[in-house]
Amino acid sequence: MKRLFVGLSILMLFLISLPVYAGAPLDTVKANVNKVLDILRDPKIKAASAKEIKKDKLRVIYVNMFDEVELSRRSLGLNWNKLNNNQRQEFVKLFEQVLEKAYADKILAYTNEKIEFTKESVISGNLAEVRTRVITASKEIPISYRVISKDGAWKVYDVVIENVSLVQNYRTQFNDILAKNSPEQLLEILRKKVKAQ
Amino acid sequence: MKSFSFAVLLLAFIAVGCAHAPQVASSPASPAASLQPQPILVASTSDEVPPKPPEATVKSPQTPVNPEKGTVNNDASMDYTEEGKEEQAPTIADPIEPFNRAMFEFNDKVYFWLLKPVAQGYKAVVPEEARVSVKNFFSNLGFPARFVSCLLQADISCAATEVGRFTVNTVWGIGGLMDPASSKDLNLQKQDVDLGQTLGVWGVGQGFYIVWPLAGPSSARDSIVIPGEYFLYPPSYMSEIAPWYVWPIIRSYEEVNRTSLRIGDYEALKEAAIDPYVALRDAYVQYRWKKVKTKRGTQMEESAPGGVRMER
Repeated sequence: MKRLFVGLSILMLFLISLPVYAGAPLDTVKANVNKVLDILRDPKIKAASAKEIKKDKLRVIYVNMFDEVELSRRSLGLNWNKLNNNQRQEFVKLFEQVLEKAYADKILAYTNEKIEFTKESVISGNLAEVRTRVITASKEIPISYRVISKDGAWKVYDVVIENVSLVQNYRTQFNDILAKNSPEQLLEILRKKVKAQ
Repeated sequence: MKSFSFAVLLLAFIAVGCAHAPQVASSPASPAASLQPQPILVASTSDEVPPKPPEATVKSPQTPVNPEKGTVNNDASMDYTEEGKEEQAPTIADPIEPFNRAMFEFNDKVYFWLLKPVAQGYKAVVPEEARVSVKNFFSNLGFPARFVSCLLQADISCAATEVGRFTVNTVWGIGGLMDPASSKDLNLQKQDVDLGQTLGVWGVGQGFYIVWPLAGPSSARDSIVIPGEYFLYPPSYMSEIAPWYVWPIIRSYEEVNRTSLRIGDYEALKEAAIDPYVALRDAYVQYRWKKVKTKRGTQMEESAPGGVRMER
């Protein structure tokens, strides 16, 4: 009798361990964010050339954390279909550089903010959203990471800061530009922006 | 006996969980949704097409993307298709764009040439704790507008929270300089409501986009309530008891104090943008839309106990 219950319990354990899989998006984002924090807080990286070293290390995490093709595809929306393959590849690279230059310094300016991982929710199918709060002395900033599951890994394709979606914000801008310009002209605008930064 | 009840409890737990699963999955806001593994498993590990909208096939594991190198394969399945389930904020009509762009440039100059230097000087002199206290003080004075908004939205718990906050912070928080009400023990959080949002909750559309000099981005809907916000804001009545120029000075100080706590935010938005004017417009629309949607969502949830689908 006892053995039966042990067997049943083990079976139950298998059944209820399935939902644990749903914790993956939050854990993945958390692991990546913690890696970023470790680098920012690393006392061994000395001040002089620290910025470039830290940026290089952040870039490695970024590649693992983000799905830059998905990010680019969604930022262009239906306009993505107007770009040919070469244009798409160049766009992905340029867009990545624009984002890096805009946000790297902001991330490096990090001081002693606390980050709370509040919850994750399934958007649909293979999409999920991980909510976090960045808490500083004067304010709390809600930041959500939207992640997509591809080949078993969760990768970020959108960041929502204070209810403003990065992808949607760029989509509106690209829509506006591509309403009057060709994809080639958009790439030229991006090339100029990367150079100017 | 112990193990028996354990098994029964587990069984009950699973049975309950399964019975509720379909509803839970349809409500992404529910925390229980994270306990629902099936959609993720189906989409990521099996080749069976799940009974889901067509997007599932677009992003099936065969999607020809190599995330490591960021290359894009030339394949029709990489094409973008509209996906129904995602939240999407609306765009806004901008019939007076030339005027708005001029005002955007004007506000931009006011920020970089006047507001930011003053705020930086102020920041260098006044410690952060003091500036947070000043922010709390002005925020406490926003009570009448928030209270009226709560009432107009027929949200009693929102109104009660605001009354509680105002009483606690005014009495125990030294006239609102501190915010003991939002501490862990009391947990009376500031309600994220305003009059423009109230109109939105009532179903009033946002109208067109307008950039006011100094005041910045707004919509037709959010502009209609500017007189209301003015009369519900206590400092507006300073002109009754003090010379006319006292009110603008108070407002300017409030703005400098607020800016001193947010230096760098606008710069980051501008730096990251391809077209800063459009970026700011879209950020405003998204922010306001979400604010209205959150309140509409909670009201719908209260009236429909079965849970709410995310509205488009």
